[in-house]
Amino acid sequence: MYPSYLPGCTDKPLLRSEQPHDQDVDLLKAVAARDEAALGQVYDRYRLILFGVLMRILNNREEAEDVLQEVFMQVWRRAADFDENRGRPFTWLVTLARSRGIDRLRALASRERVVTMAGADEASEDVSDAASDAIRSEQRGVVNSALSQLPEEQKRPLMLAYFDGLTQSEIALQLGAPLGTVKTRMRSGMMKLRELLSARGQYFQ
Amino acid sequence: MAHEDYKEMLPARALSALDAADEHALNQHLSECAECRRELADWENTAASLALGVPPAEPSPQVRDRIMNAVRSEKQKQPQQESTQSRVVEFPQSRRERWTAFGRVGAVAAAVLFLVLILWIVVLWQQNRALHRETDLLMGRMRSLEEESYRANELASILSSPGARFRSLSGTGPGTGATAQLAYDGSGRALLMANALPPTPAGKEYQLWFIVGNNPPIPGQTFSSDEIGRGELRDEVPDRALDSAVFAITLEPAGGSKAPTSAIYLRSGL
Repeated sequence: MYPSYLPGCTDKPLLRSEQPHDQDVDLLKAVAARDEAALGQVYDRYRLILFGVLMRILNNREEAEDVLQEVFMQVWRRAADFDENRGRPFTWLVTLARSRGIDRLRALASRERVVTMAGADEASEDVSDAASDAIRSEQRGVVNSALSQLPEEQKRPLMLAYFDGLTQSEIALQLGAPLGTVKTRMRSGMMKLRELLSARGQYFQ
Repeated sequence: MAHEDYKEMLPARALSALDAADEHALNQHLSECAECRRELADWENTAASLALGVPPAEPSPQVRDRIMNAVRSEKQKQPQQESTQSRVVEFPQSRRERWTAFGRVGAVAAAVLFLVLILWIVVLWQQNRALHRETDLLMGRMRSLEEESYRANELASILSSPGARFRSLSGTGPGTGATAQLAYDGSGRALLMANALPPTPAGKEYQLWFIVGNNPPIPGQTFSSDEIGRGELRDEVPDRALDSAVFAITLEPAGGSKAPTSAIYLRSGL
């Protein structure tokens, strides 16, 4: 069903998954040592995924590009904070971008700025699957497949929390559901997602 | 709340979806529970995978240029060795930069400040010395004023006493040009003030004599003149010299003589 080079789908999944992980760890170490070329490589490997996330959160190309620059300046300044024993480069970078994106979303909301949907279509443009990119489209396929298996009532709270920065109370309000129910569904959704991904060895580097 | 309750909050925490109160309580627990910290890292991986559910998007090429330019200009501002061991939680590097910049500017400022302090100390020291000199001078003047005041009081006291007398002595022989005044009262208490006496030679002192009739002079006390020829003496005029006596001053060996050994420097009339 999935290409054989996907982690978890081969005879040697660890070898396959560790290679890019190690490469990113080395790159972040080099960035921490003020190697600007290394930062350029991290950018080349992660710009698509991170910009995609920022576009999903902000729906505005200009804002998303501005935040993307902020994110990489933060990577430049905080690369030494990255601890490979505590997490993966992928998670560290995505969490950083998502967090900055949500911050910007809230700042824009507090300025009562109307978020245009102009960027929504651009985000779905066909982006080349460059060899340097950290993420292969097949890996996206695995996640989308897992998400499609989640019941909508479980998936919705996850999306509202992750891409709209809403808290459980705010989600309950938005969905018109009791807070306890939202908490339960969110937790169930996350457990199901983890289960589906780990069944495929899909812990992205 | 129990450990299990906190564990249930971890997936929502990985999505940053906890309400403030829950977030606060869980943070407290996380600071004490390594197991929950590990599990949270696991949930964060799951949450981050949601990023793969959205389509990738290509930013404009200018973004990369802007980042690299900003990084290069930031790099020029800070020395390389400052950047490698950042462990501060929030924006550690920028804080470090501030301190690094402060360190360089601060070193110059500290050197300048040090120089200013040294100069200031020198100025203060000189001022202090000048003040000391002035104080000494003023103290000297005060002492001499006190002495004069004391002497004036003494003189006034003598002159206001019953039987007070005031006699002038004139320079004669080697004491030509010198003058002296002697004030004494009925009890014999006397104050002599001399001016323009020759300097007192080493081992010598001026001595007062009371000469009554043709009797041998009665020795009085001794005194020395100062650098401007002033001399001062307190003495007791002998009873028999109170009414009619000649007062004379000679230069004698220090401590005084029983009988005059030198010429008369000052003397009063009868």
